[in-house]
Amino acid sequence: MTRLMHRLTPGGFLWLMVNEVRLATRAARQRRGGNIIWGLLITVYTAVGFMLASSVIDVPITPAPFAFVIVFAVCVLAMSFMTTQAMLRSQDTLYQSGDLDLLLTAPLPPRRVLLAKLCGVVANIIMVFAAFTLPVALPVALLGHPGLFGIPLVLLALALVSACLGLAITLFIVRVASPRTARTIAQIVGAFLAAGVFLASQFLSAGPGRGSAGRAVLGWLVHHDYGSHGFAALPGQAALGSLPAMVAVLGGAMLIFAGAGALLGRAFLISYQNAPARLTRRRGRAKGSIARHFRQGLFATMFAKETRLLRRDPQLAFTIVLRLIYLLPIALPAFTHGRGPPLLPALAFFGVLIAGQLAGSLAWLTVSAEDSPDLIAVAPVEKQAAQRAKLAAALLIAAPFAIVLPVAIALENPRAAIIALAMTLASALAAGLVELKFQRPAKRRAFGNRREGSFLVGVLTFLMTGLLGLGAGYLVWLAG
Amino acid sequence: MNEAALEIRGLSKSFDKRVVDNLDLKVAPGELYALLGPNGAGKTTTLRMAVGLTRPESGDVRIFGIDALADPLAAKKLTAWLPDEPMLYDKLTPAEYLGFVAGLWRISPGEAAPEAERLLRWLELWDERDTPCEGFSRGMKQKVALAGALIHRPRLLILDEPLTGLDANMARAVKDALRAQVDEGAGVIVTTHILEVAERLADRIGIIAQGKLLAEGTLAELRAQAGSDDLTLEDAFIRLTRAPEAQ
Repeated sequence: MTRLMHRLTPGGFLWLMVNEVRLATRAARQRRGGNIIWGLLITVYTAVGFMLASSVIDVPITPAPFAFVIVFAVCVLAMSFMTTQAMLRSQDTLYQSGDLDLLLTAPLPPRRVLLAKLCGVVANIIMVFAAFTLPVALPVALLGHPGLFGIPLVLLALALVSACLGLAITLFIVRVASPRTARTIAQIVGAFLAAGVFLASQFLSAGPGRGSAGRAVLGWLVHHDYGSHGFAALPGQAALGSLPAMVAVLGGAMLIFAGAGALLGRAFLISYQNAPARLTRRRGRAKGSIARHFRQGLFATMFAKETRLLRRDPQLAFTIVLRLIYLLPIALPAFTHGRGPPLLPALAFFGVLIAGQLAGSLAWLTVSAEDSPDLIAVAPVEKQAAQRAKLAAALLIAAPFAIVLPVAIALENPRAAIIALAMTLASALAAGLVELKFQRPAKRRAFGNRREGSFLVGVLTFLMTGLLGLGAGYLVWLAG
Repeated sequence: MNEAALEIRGLSKSFDKRVVDNLDLKVAPGELYALLGPNGAGKTTTLRMAVGLTRPESGDVRIFGIDALADPLAAKKLTAWLPDEPMLYDKLTPAEYLGFVAGLWRISPGEAAPEAERLLRWLELWDERDTPCEGFSRGMKQKVALAGALIHRPRLLILDEPLTGLDANMARAVKDALRAQVDEGAGVIVTTHILEVAERLADRIGIIAQGKLLAEGTLAELRAQAGSDDLTLEDAFIRLTRAPEAQ
């Protein structure tokens, strides 16, 4: 890329664009832990793609309305993910990265800078989605289905439109609220989408209709003419090799991209110029007496601090909830109308597992992710006492959620509920103690990646809480 | 009371090289001591060892006669530490932060709340007491951290570059705060790159380089050690810190 930049006119659109793509690829490489692992994964995935391609070499892929519907549905889903990603990257570009000051004080038209920045967003999106789709799509296209070479073009078109949409939404949210709100909304919407798709797929595959569910959804789309005709069919036609459709889709996307540059250029500049004001504080209402903020004793002090920090970080709280949502499919067999395990033991198992995971997450936040460790270290407090107080705070925050399932069990069988409650407490305590024992200092914002540094702790917590859950299920079954 | 507010004897620490080398230093109650030195001289490491954040390899740290290595909790009770990066929680408001710090130092709410109000008013943070710190400027954050350092009425204040990034008004407020603490009998030790601050504010100045205390005394004494009575502190500092390099 750097060599390519030497050949281009410095300060020109292409030069700026290549610079943005260079930054995006380097950031992506950093995030994914280096070239070797990433290259290895792509190689293996591509090999799988070639195996798949060789198995469908003689299977005709015809551009039929049903295929267009599938592509349409996939495009809608992909575009929603791409848009949330574009919102996050736009927010980074506008309010996090430091290079806009440099670019906008250089003798360059702001619109050119914006379009180049948007290209960086597009590159970022494409790298993620290309890694998922192209290792399979390209081998299939190479081995007998050249029409599928339209897929990369559709991908590019989707990324172009999503980048514009993401930027427009971000600028709008920043205008009516704040950059942080834009980021939180993008993260929450993205997480909702992922969780929604995951849960829907799990529910559909666990339901009575099983394999037919996906087909039913597509049948519904076909029945209502969604994606099989007209403009909505264009992505499908382009992906399956229709040249006019490819030109229409990519041309349309590029027009939107250029139009967005023209339309959003001014809004972008104003938003950037106002960014310092929007990033500065919003004054909280001063509400009289200060005494309410002071607590007697170490535990009360820690508990007040930890609850406040969690309450004021909705994105973090949401991530914790999301992690629990991803455990839901484990409980689904209990609701399969007599085909799965008995309800109460399954609920006890699930409740104990959830309580352990929740307590583990909260204990990580309170114990390991202390944002001011030096403050605690210089305070006249024994380290162990401070950590016990933090762990107790984590358990107390988890308690109202952890007791929901034992209470539900109590409606059916109070004796079983007492067992479930005791095991829930044991599970939460065990998960908390594991965090306490193997803590590694980290930043709260690293919560999403915390297992990268402590994979074994995650496995250990899961195994322990799982075993305690199985024990709870067995004991509740005996009691029932 | 004859005990030194801070007494450091034979303090040493190495990381990949010797950072602090057999250092002796004494700060009396009611004295403001400025520790000066070039980058990497060992100032911050010395202070971090004094507050118990870094374990020394050898030497003693005594705070009002209490052996800080043997009885760290008793020593910490008397001490406040203010690093150049404020130890704050972005999502807490100044009032909540002070509540948290007071809880850590086990100050009763009845005693801490009025003191918090006094500090917030004095540092002109009262109207911002319920605003989360995340949007504050660096200077405001530094003032919140200073309020946190003062809320438990420390008898020894240890500050690492407390004036970095502050505007003139805020720097004046911090200097006034330090002087007020000294006037009330507290010992204050401060590192700074701003020699004018040391010159005007400090009762005694220590110059450290390569982990060793090169010179110590009042400004007049430092001038004498540097070999001329009409030197500025900057000149004296440069002469004294260049001397060991030349050796």
